[in-house]
Amino acid sequence: MNPSETLVPTIATSAPLVLRNVTQRFGKHTALRNVSLEIPAGRIVGLLGRNGAGKTTLLHIASGMLLPTDGTCATLGAPSGLLDTPQLTRLGLVQQEGRCLEWMTIRQHLDFNASFYPRWDRDLERRVIEALEVDPKRKIVQLSPGDRQKVGILLGVCHRPSLLLLDEPMSALDPIVRKRLLDFLLELLRDDGCTVVISSHILNDVEKIVDWIVALDAGEIVEDSAFDVLQESYAEWTLTSINGVLPTAFAEPFVINHQGDGRQALLRVRTADAAAAARFAAAHHVEIRTRPLNLDEMFPLITSQKRKTS
Amino acid sequence: MPPLLSIDHHNGVPAYRQIMDQLKLQIATGLLAPGAELPSTRALSAELALNPMTVSKAYGLLEHDGVLERRRGQTLIVSERSATAQQTAKLDPLRQQLNAAAHLARQLDVSPAQAIKLFRELLDS
Repeated sequence: MNPSETLVPTIATSAPLVLRNVTQRFGKHTALRNVSLEIPAGRIVGLLGRNGAGKTTLLHIASGMLLPTDGTCATLGAPSGLLDTPQLTRLGLVQQEGRCLEWMTIRQHLDFNASFYPRWDRDLERRVIEALEVDPKRKIVQLSPGDRQKVGILLGVCHRPSLLLLDEPMSALDPIVRKRLLDFLLELLRDDGCTVVISSHILNDVEKIVDWIVALDAGEIVEDSAFDVLQESYAEWTLTSINGVLPTAFAEPFVINHQGDGRQALLRVRTADAAAAARFAAAHHVEIRTRPLNLDEMFPLITSQKRKTS
Repeated sequence: MPPLLSIDHHNGVPAYRQIMDQLKLQIATGLLAPGAELPSTRALSAELALNPMTVSKAYGLLEHDGVLERRRGQTLIVSERSATAQQTAKLDPLRQQLNAAAHLARQLDVSPAQAIKLFRELLDS
C-alpha cells in the first residue's frame, strides 16, 4: 500500500472535484491562495479570470499534474496526486497547449490513446472527427494551431470522461467549429451526466452552456455562483433625474460603478433584490431604466473585485 | 409540433426566464392550447442546444406556478386553468413594453395626451 494514502483524509462527498484550502506557490509567486471549491456532478462550470489569475494552475492541480503546496484536492473521489487507472480513465483533460507525439498521424495518435481506455467510443470519435473537420491522415507535426486544438479535444473527450477539464480549448477555432464543440459538450452532459469545467475567454460561447460560474482573481476565488443568479443580480441602471441634480456618487453598497453628469447617470449594480430599483428611484427622485448584463459586461466587474479592494 | 422558442444567450436575461416568458406568451395568445404536450427536458434542451438544467428549471417553475402540469408518467402538458390564468396575466408583457415607452415619453417631454394618441394610432393601424 502506498503509505501516503493513509495520510490523506477521506473526503466524504460524491462531488467529482473538491478543493480544500489549496495554495500553490511557484518560488515567491503565489498562483493560488487558499482556494476551496466543490463542484457537484452534472454541472457545466465556467472558470473565469484574467490572464495569470490561476485558472490553468487550478486545472493542473485537479488533473494531478501539479501537487498543491498546501491543502487537498480530490478528483473523482481520490486525492489528485494519487489518481490511478479507475480515475484516470474517467478523467478528460484538454490543455491549452497539449503535448502530442509529433511523429504520429492523428489516426495513430487516436489508436494509441484508445488502447488505454476501455470506454473509448469509436462512434463518438468518428462524429467528432467529422464535426471538427479533422483529417486523420495528417501528421501531428504538420498541424496548424487550430488543428492541434482539435486533436487535443478528440483526445480529451472520446473516452467519454465523467469529469472533463477544458483549458482554453477553442481559442484558435472558428465560430462554426466552436458551435459544434459546444453541442458535443451538451451531448456528453445529456447522455452521461458528464461534469465539465471550462476555462475560456470566449465568453459568448461560455454563456451558452454553463450553469455555474467560478471566477479567480489574483489566485483567489472571487465568485462561485449559479450563472442565472448572477444574470439576475448584475444590471445596468440608466438614471434620469426627475427634479434637481443627480449626486456625483451613491452610497448604496450594491452600486459597483457610476458614470454620468448632473442629469443622467449610468450605474452598474449588483443586487438580487428585485425591489431595489424602485426604492432607489424613490429615495433619489430619479427614473430608472434597467437592463441585465451579459457575461462580457459582467466579466470586469466579477474578476476585478480583488484588485479593486487590495 | 413542439413550441418554437428563440433563446438569446447574449441579452443577459437567464435562459430559463426566456423559456418561461415565451411559453406563457404562447399560452396567452392561444398558440399553445390547454392539454398540449411539451417536449421532454432532454428533447427541448437538445433542440435549443441548452444545458438541461436550464430547461428543467423553467419547467419546474412553470409547474410550480400551475401553468404546466404533469400527466401520468412524465409528460408535461399545458394545464386547463393556465389558459384562463394566462388570459388575465396577458397584460403583463404589454405593461413591460409600455413601461419602457412611458419612460422614453417622459424623457422626450411628450405629453400624455400626445403619447396616448400615438398609441391609439398604432393600435388602429
